[in-house]
Amino acid sequence: MNQAETPAIRIAGMTVRYGRRVAVDAASLEVPRGSVHALLGRNGAGKSSLVRCALGQQRASSGSAEILGQDSWKHRTHLMERIGVVAEEADAPPEMRVQQLADFNARLYSRWDGKAFDARLDRFGISKQPRYGDLSKGQKKQVSLALALAASPDLIVLDDPTLGLDVVARKSLFEEVIADLADRGTTVFLTTHDLAGVEAIADRVAIMNGGRIVLDEELETLKARFRRIRFSAQPLALEAASFRTALVRSWGAGTEAIVSNYDDLTFERLRSSATVQSADVSAMSLEEIFIAVAGEGTKS
Amino acid sequence: MFDINATDAAPIWRQIEEGMRRMIALGALKPGDTVPSVRDLAQQLRVNPNTVARAYQRLTEHGVFAVRRGEGTFVADEPSQPKRSERNEVLRDASVRYASSAIAVGASLDDAVDELNTSYDKLVREHRRKV
Repeated sequence: MNQAETPAIRIAGMTVRYGRRVAVDAASLEVPRGSVHALLGRNGAGKSSLVRCALGQQRASSGSAEILGQDSWKHRTHLMERIGVVAEEADAPPEMRVQQLADFNARLYSRWDGKAFDARLDRFGISKQPRYGDLSKGQKKQVSLALALAASPDLIVLDDPTLGLDVVARKSLFEEVIADLADRGTTVFLTTHDLAGVEAIADRVAIMNGGRIVLDEELETLKARFRRIRFSAQPLALEAASFRTALVRSWGAGTEAIVSNYDDLTFERLRSSATVQSADVSAMSLEEIFIAVAGEGTKS
Repeated sequence: MFDINATDAAPIWRQIEEGMRRMIALGALKPGDTVPSVRDLAQQLRVNPNTVARAYQRLTEHGVFAVRRGEGTFVADEPSQPKRSERNEVLRDASVRYASSAIAVGASLDDAVDELNTSYDKLVREHRRKV
């Protein structure tokens, strides 16, 4: 298989156990090169364990993880050079000044781009004088992102990059990622709770729930197949249509259903069935789909 | 420029394609004008650059944009209009959705037509102001 065909990340049948607790349960996932892949899940769904194992920072109990076609545990030292990581709790020695951090990183990475680092800090409005420990939470994230991107990585992994950031900082962080994508085609893999922020930039989305990957597909396909349907009849009327439902509940005197295999023809069949006087269909945002799939007390 | 609604049912590349065609139809972009680079537009709209590239590629294939090697992308000298049959199809699809929403909220046909008139005028006015 040539370089272009091997995915940036490939996880196959990965299980991670902590004692008797199963954090990741036979998860499989692929991140195609040049894509923006968002991994979504509620707190405790297993995202961080999966990301750490994917990066070779932790060893999975079973299954495999490959990055750019190489086993991420065996080749983790060599792969470090090609991956940029912005961890959930962005961390660097608090005593080091930003300039010292940059010098230190420049020695670690052969493809270090000092000009790009300086330009990013300028855009963020951060000087290279202060000590890392004196920066605000948002500035720490921005410095970590600038350090990660300056190493010209093939793959950048962002673990909840916008956590704790205000609206302005969030916007500038996503803009930097978008710009880098356009310039160099870097593959981006991120976990996030900022569904509205990621909706416009993600190509693919995976949702994790209770350690399992419940879906992994193109965002456009996902949004095309999910719809909210409201109709003036009892849930029984759904039997006229071959819809798979993620959620069915009463809505006023009628029924609300979230279907995961929507098509117009089946909807027309439902609408024209004898007991249904009126039926209405609406598109769903990524956030609404996420709640339907990973929310409490639902099945996917 | 124009707005992108990520929660809209229409894919983002289609919204960009439609937005560009709208700007040209209303004269905000004229034949021969340079169009923003993929990178700039992606950053401005905060969308994936691949998505912008996809919209640009379609617009180029349909003769709305022209690419001059080394110079960038321009509005074609005679940007092609959608064929009559295509135009009718687009209108029919969109009007079914609009009519369905109107009926669902109990609006009369007159109310619906009034709103359509207002929105049409508003879009035209907004673009004129930006020119």
